[in-house]
Amino acid sequence: MDELVFDILVAVCSLLAGVIGALIGLGGGVIITPLLVLAFGVDIRYAMGAALCSVIATSSGAAAAYLRDGISNMRIGLFLCVATTIGAVCGALLAVVLDPAVLSIIFGVALLATVLLSLRKKKDLAGPDASDPLAVKLRLPGTMPAANGPTPYTVYHVVPGFCVMWVAGLLSGLLGIGSGAFKVVAMDQIMRIPFKVTTATSNFMIGVTAAASVGVYLKRGYLDPSLVAPVALGVLAGAFLGAKLLAVAPVKLLRVIFLTAVSVIAVQMIARGLHINF
Amino acid sequence: MKDEQIQNSLAHVMLSGVLVAAAIMAAGLIWFLATHDGMAPGDHVFSGEPKYFENPISMVQRAVDPKDIGHRRSLIMIGVVLLLINPPVRVAFAAFGFAAQGDRLYTAISLIVLAVLIFSFFW
Repeated sequence: MDELVFDILVAVCSLLAGVIGALIGLGGGVIITPLLVLAFGVDIRYAMGAALCSVIATSSGAAAAYLRDGISNMRIGLFLCVATTIGAVCGALLAVVLDPAVLSIIFGVALLATVLLSLRKKKDLAGPDASDPLAVKLRLPGTMPAANGPTPYTVYHVVPGFCVMWVAGLLSGLLGIGSGAFKVVAMDQIMRIPFKVTTATSNFMIGVTAAASVGVYLKRGYLDPSLVAPVALGVLAGAFLGAKLLAVAPVKLLRVIFLTAVSVIAVQMIARGLHINF
Repeated sequence: MKDEQIQNSLAHVMLSGVLVAAAIMAAGLIWFLATHDGMAPGDHVFSGEPKYFENPISMVQRAVDPKDIGHRRSLIMIGVVLLLINPPVRVAFAAFGFAAQGDRLYTAISLIVLAVLIFSFFW
């Protein structure tokens, strides 16, 4: 296939990935790596490198808006980033020693886990009780803008949340994904932070987490500029476009289609990994 | 310095940083494709070597040297690197903002995150 045609196709697919990511809150590395590997036959390591860069791109774009609107909580984000970045370095180093086939299998399993996490019933666990004393000491609880003015919220279970964040970071570095789904779960299920704040803060964090794997990926040659460029540009354009479409898009239907597709892809990634071993 | 000020300056840094990086990547990519002469993307076979990534000075030199075959991809790589430094830059700005607020705890936390990021680069 001609390089130009290849890049255009990759950019268009990345744009779609960006749109879906903006509409559903799940995307980036999770769609792009399997797409490049399964549909375009790209080596999984180059795919992971490109996907990681797309995570940084969307984080920079989307999180900027949330920060300005005062929904993300910088302190929670930065505090938990201590865990995610350390996890990411561990994950990236692990990725380098693992066989690509094994990475493919782990990727498929992580995708299935992401789908299951996204399907869980959404109960807003944010409660009126007092925060975890450690959270208060770290000044994590904040306020979020709401219809009747800034509403304060509380933060629980700091230590378990921190530990789960380390795992989210590990997955990010290992697989070249943002692991936003895992971060959101840690924050809203364990630490009981309101959904809006969780999503906004996760957007901020995925970029910082991804950046921790970048050094390792760069030095081991996972980043091919002629692949990264169409992917990152496509996803960025898609994210901006998706944000504009949010008001009119049939999000529920998209979620169903998307989660089904991702499950199929997850199985394919696992199968691919097993195949190579035969 | 109030929280809103820190948040706004972070948002500004992040957004403008990503747009500049995107512009350079786009310029490099268009330039590269415009002169590719129907090349097949043959080097998508994994080589394990850092591609077109060297120290900043030689990368810029390579990007402007018309005799070097890889020079357009060096330009793209410069854009990629600018994208990759966006997160550490935002963390550094946050550290600075917290320091200006006199918030020692969060200056320290931001610096720890920054240290991990820098360390991961030199591992």
